[in-house]
Amino acid sequence: MGSATTTELAPSGVEGTIPVTVDGQALEVKPGTTVLEAARMLKISIPTLCHHPAVEAYGACRMCMTEIEVRGKKRMVTACNFPIREPTAIFTESEATKKQRRGVLSMMLARWPKVPVIQSLAGRYGVQNPGYQHPLRNEAPDACILCGLCVKACSEMVWEDVIAFAGRGAKRHVTMPFGKQSERCTGCGTCAYICPTGAIKVTDEKNNPVDPARIRKYGFRLTKEMATLDDSQCKMRRVGTAHLVEIMDAYDLLPTHNYKFGKHARIAEIASPVWTSLVRQNVPDGCWVGCQMSCAKAVDDFVPRTGPYQGKKVLVDGPEYETVASCGSNIGVFDPHDIIELNFYCDTYGIDTISFGTACAFAMECYEAGVLDKRKTGGLDLKFGNGPAALELLHHMSRGEGFGVIVGQGIRQMKRIFAERFGGDPRFLQDIGMEAKGLEYSEYVTKESLAQQAGYAMAQKGPQHDEAWLIFMDMVNKQLPTFEKKAEALYYFPMWRTWFGLMGLCKLPWNDVEPEDNATRPEPNKVPGHVEGYENFVSGMMGGEYTIQDILKMSERVYNFQRVFSIRMGHGRREDDRGPYRAMGPVTAEEYESRAERYDGQLKELLKVDPAGRSTAEKMALLRRYREEQYEGVLDAVYKRRGWTRNGTPTPETLKGLGIDYPWVVEVVKARMAEEGSA
Amino acid sequence: MNDEPLPWRAGLTVADVLREREFVFPLLVVSIDGVHVPRDAFAATAVPDGAVVVVMHLMSGG
Repeated sequence: MGSATTTELAPSGVEGTIPVTVDGQALEVKPGTTVLEAARMLKISIPTLCHHPAVEAYGACRMCMTEIEVRGKKRMVTACNFPIREPTAIFTESEATKKQRRGVLSMMLARWPKVPVIQSLAGRYGVQNPGYQHPLRNEAPDACILCGLCVKACSEMVWEDVIAFAGRGAKRHVTMPFGKQSERCTGCGTCAYICPTGAIKVTDEKNNPVDPARIRKYGFRLTKEMATLDDSQCKMRRVGTAHLVEIMDAYDLLPTHNYKFGKHARIAEIASPVWTSLVRQNVPDGCWVGCQMSCAKAVDDFVPRTGPYQGKKVLVDGPEYETVASCGSNIGVFDPHDIIELNFYCDTYGIDTISFGTACAFAMECYEAGVLDKRKTGGLDLKFGNGPAALELLHHMSRGEGFGVIVGQGIRQMKRIFAERFGGDPRFLQDIGMEAKGLEYSEYVTKESLAQQAGYAMAQKGPQHDEAWLIFMDMVNKQLPTFEKKAEALYYFPMWRTWFGLMGLCKLPWNDVEPEDNATRPEPNKVPGHVEGYENFVSGMMGGEYTIQDILKMSERVYNFQRVFSIRMGHGRREDDRGPYRAMGPVTAEEYESRAERYDGQLKELLKVDPAGRSTAEKMALLRRYREEQYEGVLDAVYKRRGWTRNGTPTPETLKGLGIDYPWVVEVVKARMAEEGSA
Repeated sequence: MNDEPLPWRAGLTVADVLREREFVFPLLVVSIDGVHVPRDAFAATAVPDGAVVVVMHLMSGG
């Protein structure tokens, strides 16, 4: 043990740090560092029972009592939560320290003599079985030692507060309200995992996993990451996916005015701090049992200004990012009240917020472009930014009235109707109508990411980003410079993410929080630590050893089945995998000129064309030809990587390799190949 | 940086680069000449002249 005292501690001169000694070893710590943290920095052990890095220290068990000296005066403190504010000498093994710990252990050993963690510490400090009979003696090796870690974890990590202490003194115990099973307990198992004695147990009666301990081990890692890292990462527990609103704007990716632009001057009015202040229910949402991400949010006591609930207080589930973008920026609405009200009525009427917002944005652009007028919209002034008109349109849709009947059929039908009945230019309508395979686009501007254009338009169910979100990898990181690299990403990520659907799992815990060491792992964008967790999950559930390759193969079988089903239904052709040009580049002169420096630069660098002296229309045509050719190149590369023909048909060889070459399946693809001339 | 020229000046830090490029996404992985720079060291890490800076954005969202 060292003999340094605070009178000998001199500042090191390092700004903002405090000199400390632990058993004579010197170090510098930041103000607020606890005595326990300082000791652990030097790998010096201080025993704890009620401390865990994932919950706030509260010094209840007194096991970590340690002698310190500050300004020449010695005292005992709980090391786990005593913050260092001035030069301090710490004595982890002084006689005073050991005496204090022996006293605590003596009482614990008398009450819980067979709990291994207490026996171990008693051995370390030479504490024998005390010579008296404790009135509450409990000889169970897995007795509850009232450390409170389970209570703290349920409150701070799970946000449920389902379990708590009850009773006083000798009657103190851990329980649920009224001593009964609480309906609010999600069975997440966090309390059981964090318990140092095994007093709380999780029984797996429903799913009968082969190795529940293996699953729980990886599940708890995620729970701990959410509790300790989320606030410095995506803030999913605070605001959910709405944290992305201002981020997408900063990267020119937030759809604005029907995807014409990627950012807007009024972004602050719908940025995440606005939603953080409006959402009230920061509690687990119950959308997934035991999930601590709790990203679904709700607005309490919202009073709609329109519709059947006008003037009444209602609860609104949301909004999350896609709704803010679809019912906000994409229709030019920056009033949070209008966005929440659109969110509420979409939910109430059973209408998807993305499909409504994208369809409304299309109708608004058609209105501003002269394809529509008030006579055709039944009096609705559908200019971008007119929130009340958007709400009225939504009410019309719900009642099956007027122009709402047309918009309610979706963009694919609107394009046909606007051309046939209203004289709209079919090519213009096709270019700006943001749908593919009949589904409205979700809310990202993809013009500068070829991989994401394909990620959207090639998705089996239509342009949803839940197969692949590659914009950052492609556009910002420049990780996918070739068709082949884009194709590899458009193999891996759709197969990986399809697997979440196959397992009935939510994708968000995969990459909306990342392990502490993720940045130092190879291919951090795949979050390898979490991929390992899923490998262990499926192995622990089913037995055997499943690797990422096995997981991808499971998905690939289903993915190819989906394609064969599409083919059997008359779809699944190359033209079905193309999106509107608005997803690929500027349709209007207004769009081109708003980013003229970018587009002119691309003409010079990529096409070797001097833009000087050329009209905007001429430059747009050159850019469009280039971008459309590039898209066809990606299609070819992806089809090849997936083992499909140039028309997007899985070959019999591919089906055989996947073990799904059933005669009735092969028959479907052979018929399509004969039709396309590739048999 | 990320295969694009990055104007250099004396004292340029990783935090300066991220701020000037509006790289506001929270899940960033930065390396300089192949050496990883921890997130809590962005402000204190200088970017040497001629260095190869990689700013990898991870993914998040629905």
